[in-house]
Amino acid sequence: MSVLIEAREVAVDGPQGRLVEPVSLTLRPGVPLTIVGETGSGKSLLMQALMGTLPAGLQARGSARIDGEDFDLSAPGNMRRLWGRTIAVLPQEPWLALDPLMRAREQVAEVHHLVSLETAGGAHADADLETVGLARAAARLPGELSGGMAQRLAFSAARAGGATIQFADEPTKGLDTAMRDGIADLLIGRLGAEGGLLTVTHDLDLARRIGGELMVMLKGRIVEQGPASRLLAAPSHDYTRRLVAAQPSNWARRQGSQGSEAAVISARGLSVVRGGVRLFDGVDLDLRPGAITGILGRSGCGKTSLGNALLGLVPLSGGHVSRDPSILSHRFQKLWQDPPSAFARTQTIGRELNALARLHRVDRQRMDRLLKRLRLSPELLKRPPGQVSGGELQRIALMRALMVDPVFLFADEPTSRLDLITQQEVIDMLGEVVREEKLALLIVSHDGDLLERFCDDVVKLDHRDGTARQSN
Amino acid sequence: MVDLTAIAPAKTVRRPAPWAFIVLAAVVVLALLAPLIDQLGPYRQVLSKALSGPDMIAPLGYDHLGRSMLARMAYAVRLSLALAMASTVTAAFIGIALGMLASWRGGWTDTLLRLVSDSMLALPALLLVLIAGVIVQSTAVSFWIGLAAVQWIEFFRLSRSMMRSLIQSPAVEAARLLGFGPVHIFCHHLWPEMRPLLLTAAAFGVANAIMVIAALGFVSVGMRAPTPEMGLMMVELLPYWREAPWALAQPVLACFAILLALNSIAGAKT
Repeated sequence: MSVLIEAREVAVDGPQGRLVEPVSLTLRPGVPLTIVGETGSGKSLLMQALMGTLPAGLQARGSARIDGEDFDLSAPGNMRRLWGRTIAVLPQEPWLALDPLMRAREQVAEVHHLVSLETAGGAHADADLETVGLARAAARLPGELSGGMAQRLAFSAARAGGATIQFADEPTKGLDTAMRDGIADLLIGRLGAEGGLLTVTHDLDLARRIGGELMVMLKGRIVEQGPASRLLAAPSHDYTRRLVAAQPSNWARRQGSQGSEAAVISARGLSVVRGGVRLFDGVDLDLRPGAITGILGRSGCGKTSLGNALLGLVPLSGGHVSRDPSILSHRFQKLWQDPPSAFARTQTIGRELNALARLHRVDRQRMDRLLKRLRLSPELLKRPPGQVSGGELQRIALMRALMVDPVFLFADEPTSRLDLITQQEVIDMLGEVVREEKLALLIVSHDGDLLERFCDDVVKLDHRDGTARQSN
Repeated sequence: MVDLTAIAPAKTVRRPAPWAFIVLAAVVVLALLAPLIDQLGPYRQVLSKALSGPDMIAPLGYDHLGRSMLARMAYAVRLSLALAMASTVTAAFIGIALGMLASWRGGWTDTLLRLVSDSMLALPALLLVLIAGVIVQSTAVSFWIGLAAVQWIEFFRLSRSMMRSLIQSPAVEAARLLGFGPVHIFCHHLWPEMRPLLLTAAAFGVANAIMVIAALGFVSVGMRAPTPEMGLMMVELLPYWREAPWALAQPVLACFAILLALNSIAGAKT
């Protein structure tokens, strides 16, 4: 058999019109296929249409020949038997797909028992866990696994049904850069010459690592397709070009400014202990107006706690933080990782900003100037935070911080939930604001490329020895 | 950009059935308006008419002592609802205030308040109301105090657990960093999130209080005769169920209708 999936004219219709324009694609054994696109481009819907798992209210069109059998995608009822046996799915954020009360070994053994109907499921499960390096974690609950381990466990459970075709939906979402390569290796490693792999992602590095064929999706349309290596090296469509250029590794280095003014906030010998674990120890920082300091580290290493300790949100267990006592405490501000959660969910953004303006006597003109400066439409303020896109909301959060005339801003992974192009816009905006307003910025990220190009100074937090190393 | 939340069908929130509100409103309107057409009042006796059926002066008939059932029912429903609501509102105020204190301050304040609420949970609710009855002379005031003393725990536990996660959320952290005080944070961040659940708890609380009042009346340790109260009326009319089933049915049905309506209103919102 030379083709695993041959899909013709697959489209997805929603109640308000077409969401995915007709797409034809071919998945060949041994050649991975990756669909890249930003949030809302319809890439996940396309994958769901191919599996017959679209949410209620959405209607798929077109047909597909899967594993030598024809299916009408508009009537996906009989596709159910493909699940687990022919097509295995690695879901988004797999720790949510695992049973929180079942130990790792049982999660995999259950699939062997119930989907592949094997009697020796337990033995197979042990072998599976061995291959993904989880043999020692067999008796642990999902809550006791790291993000990468949970990802590998979900992968084992998904593959236990013996499927030849693997679908992966945003497999690196919520994972560190360091783990991304591991996931790519895992996906390719099981591919072999016979298997099929269809990945949907917004992560170009993952796409590059997986290789094979690449399709670029924009607003429900495939705008470009071809071999991944060629497409990413020499994109021809304007959108692909912007996408590649928006990758932090392709950014130009920011013009640094070594501020010589007195630091607005300094830390000496800072250490924080949380839940009995020493996150870091002996960190010295001087944050000066107009300078950008980055903190790099893996998730769970205490990057956020370091910033929170500077803001007084987390108690210190050693060292001290000194601020200029003449500066009011509300001029030390923060940007959050998940923009919607940083606003009151039940009221419009405008109401919240107006309350802030009354509290600190910010006049209307200044608010209008800030809106214009951050290229925000005043219309956005009439909506609740749930109806504003992440990039816009992060800029509104920046505006909210700027309203109180800050001297220091702590940005906690401000772009990790944003698409590549939006990330670049927000970071550029931050850079401009730092220069104009002369504020000290501390930015936390797990993306070394981003920090290296954006910051004047980068501190690496290392979890193992709990110390910080300064580099530039 | 395609907003998936706009496409996916809205989460089906079961709205309270309109009949529940109609039943509740009918009982309340009856209780409020009955005194306008009633000429006897709940205590006047017409002994010759004891246990007789409806007539022009008493449209719901007479009880075993010849008192107007309409007047007594109206009085009893008003008493139960007023007491239940007063105690629930009091309990909600105390419970939410203490819940906020515990989750805001944390530490030993939280530990102490939890200890108090947990140990009060260990006492049977009816017993607490009875103890209040021994200490306070007036039956109505003792019910109010006793019921509030039982009910605040529910509001305390609910608001404490909800507020703990809300207070740690980035939105509240942002509000605090921006210089907003506790009152603003409560009104804009905490209350809008907690309101649906607390209103549900309040509806259950009122229903539960009505049940407690009736139950204690029925075992003759609640309201004292001749005060008209539904539980007390049930036990007084019980010996005459053969002669005047209609009279006995009235407090039973009224109690049933109110509880059913309140419980289905509360149950639908969660």
